[in-house]
Amino acid sequence: MHLFLLGVSHRTAPVDLRERLDFSSRNLGEAIDALAMRPSAAESVVVSTCNRSEIYVASDDPAKAREELVAFLSEYHQLPPETFLPHLFVKEDGAAAGHLFRVAAGLDSLVVGEPQILGQVKDAFQTAAERRAAGPLLSKLFHWSFNVGKRVRTETALGEGAVSISFAAVALARKIFGQLQGRRVLVVGAGEISTLTAQHLRSQGVGEIVITSRTLASAETLATAVGGRAVPWEQMTQALATADIVITATGSHRPIITQAQLAPSTGRRRSDPLFIIDIAVPRDVDPAVGEIEQVFLYNVDDLQGIVSENMTRRAGEIERAESIVGEELTRFSSWQRSRGAIPTVVALRQRFEAIRRSELQRLEGKLGALPPDARARVDEVTRLIVEKLLLEPTEQLKALPDEETQASYTEAVNRLFRLRPDDASEAPSGATTTPSNRRDK
Amino acid sequence: MNLIPLLLYATAGVAYGVHFAKSQPSAGRTATTLLLFAVLAHTFVIGMQTMEMRLVPFANSSRAISVFVWLLTLSYLYLELTTDERAMGVFILPIVVGLQAIPTIYPGTEFSDPVLDSPWFWVHVSSLLFAYASFALAGVLGLTYVLQFKDIKKKHLGYLYTRLPSLQMLDTMNSRAVAVGWLFLTIGVIVGAVWTAQARSIAPDDSILQAMAFDDPKIFIALITWVVYSFAVISRQAMGWNGRRAAWVSAVGFAIVLLNFLPVSYFVTTSHTFY
Repeated sequence: MHLFLLGVSHRTAPVDLRERLDFSSRNLGEAIDALAMRPSAAESVVVSTCNRSEIYVASDDPAKAREELVAFLSEYHQLPPETFLPHLFVKEDGAAAGHLFRVAAGLDSLVVGEPQILGQVKDAFQTAAERRAAGPLLSKLFHWSFNVGKRVRTETALGEGAVSISFAAVALARKIFGQLQGRRVLVVGAGEISTLTAQHLRSQGVGEIVITSRTLASAETLATAVGGRAVPWEQMTQALATADIVITATGSHRPIITQAQLAPSTGRRRSDPLFIIDIAVPRDVDPAVGEIEQVFLYNVDDLQGIVSENMTRRAGEIERAESIVGEELTRFSSWQRSRGAIPTVVALRQRFEAIRRSELQRLEGKLGALPPDARARVDEVTRLIVEKLLLEPTEQLKALPDEETQASYTEAVNRLFRLRPDDASEAPSGATTTPSNRRDK
Repeated sequence: MNLIPLLLYATAGVAYGVHFAKSQPSAGRTATTLLLFAVLAHTFVIGMQTMEMRLVPFANSSRAISVFVWLLTLSYLYLELTTDERAMGVFILPIVVGLQAIPTIYPGTEFSDPVLDSPWFWVHVSSLLFAYASFALAGVLGLTYVLQFKDIKKKHLGYLYTRLPSLQMLDTMNSRAVAVGWLFLTIGVIVGAVWTAQARSIAPDDSILQAMAFDDPKIFIALITWVVYSFAVISRQAMGWNGRRAAWVSAVGFAIVLLNFLPVSYFVTTSHTFY
């Protein structure tokens, strides 16, 4: 059984093609069911996120699987194959496993180390497992990849530190306020980053978000987008007095928040901290505001500085993460190889067991006179001898270092013990399949 | 006998250090486990000594320090287990190890005094020791708050910033520790006063007892401590002194406690000593 992977990702395909090959917007379970109809895909899992659509299958015939998966993609998404063929990537066995490990670790993500991907891989496997599409090989592979993702996350700093301005602002807010539940946010002026930041804050469970802008209409638009409340520009000072987090992003050429403006509210605010994020260029907040004891004032350069520092730190961790992936891949591959030896091992055991039984049967006349417990002993002893004889060769066969060696060893074992039925034809005429019978002659 | 807990505390301290430096959850769990073992061993030692001597476990200053360390570790463990926040261990453990070294090196002499054979004495000393342990925690929390505050304010988001808990959490923990400490300090001081009055009437010839008054440095500083922490509690409620101000108040308060507990107890006090 081989691992086979076919897919597109942000590295190989433009966004419009990825959108058209996306499974997540449609019913993923349906796709899994449709895949199961294809005979070459004995097991299948589909990983589909906005940056990738990847189909993992376990197949006896990878070439056939490739053909069928291309046909499946074409039919399922109603796209002619030539539109996506140049953007497809195909990987087999170790390369496929290594790819999934890198994906789960966040190494293949657009933003390296982003944390969501591991959950998405888990969900993808869960969907396939619920539909019984993931068999022993893919189950092992995916669980292995979860472990790789977990190891990379705990043993490296690949996912640490915010790598966008809006997330950096949220991370800072969390260091100041801890849980953000119930915190009041004031957004002054609408803009892309302020909207994003407000949305991130909203997803962290902040309380009221108040939005003000020189034109009430644009404040109202933003208010609907982030689930906030728009107030007229004149009420900004009042809103400042009760806010915990302030985001400013106006196009004003002069500072709109000054020390004097905050003065009336400092009494009421007591020593509760106020976190001001000034995204505007030129700045909206007078730098002197940062001198007020409980005010933490960050401008866009400060946040950009945090982001680039975090990026550098993440980049420094890539090598460590890759080495974890490599380590796990070696272990997984040797597991997969040991699995390749299983049919031979099973055949070998069956052969030995057959010999044992036939020998016991041959001696039936002599053994029949023994008391039952002595007969049981004979049975036990012969079984143990066979087991001990087989133990070492079985272990050795499973632990062979690469596939080529393994193939030649299993071939040798098959020949030496005539494990394949067709080997019988090569045997001298008159000989039957079991050696014990031969000896009987 | 105090050596085993000391060594365990020191090992736990190293583990907390590793956890802090490398941010490894496994190192953190090891640290907590080691600290649990240390506190168990310490409990055993204190219990054995108490049974053996048939004396309260704080019959001399060294023994009192040992009990103080034990209470401090217990309070810290409570805080750690309820908040799942291990970063403070690296600050608390040096205090624990440093203080525990004192009873290990100078076990002190055992003695028995009928005046101390009173349940009031138990309540008085154990309340105060528990209060001081809480203040130690609050003091360390306050100092970390100030460090974290400074880093965020100065936009220096480096080593400490990533490892320390949020300002809000530090402040909440500080406020809880101060409130609990103040409650026990108040109980301890009141019980001490009542018990002194009682003991005076029992032993009118005891010059030490009769001399016990506000002009004894130890008692005087204890009252200052009470004033400082009462201020901490009231200012937080009434004046909104939380965050950095509260952090400073608790740090100063703990400095006074340490002053009273160590140099004053050993060298300066005139009446508040029994050996």
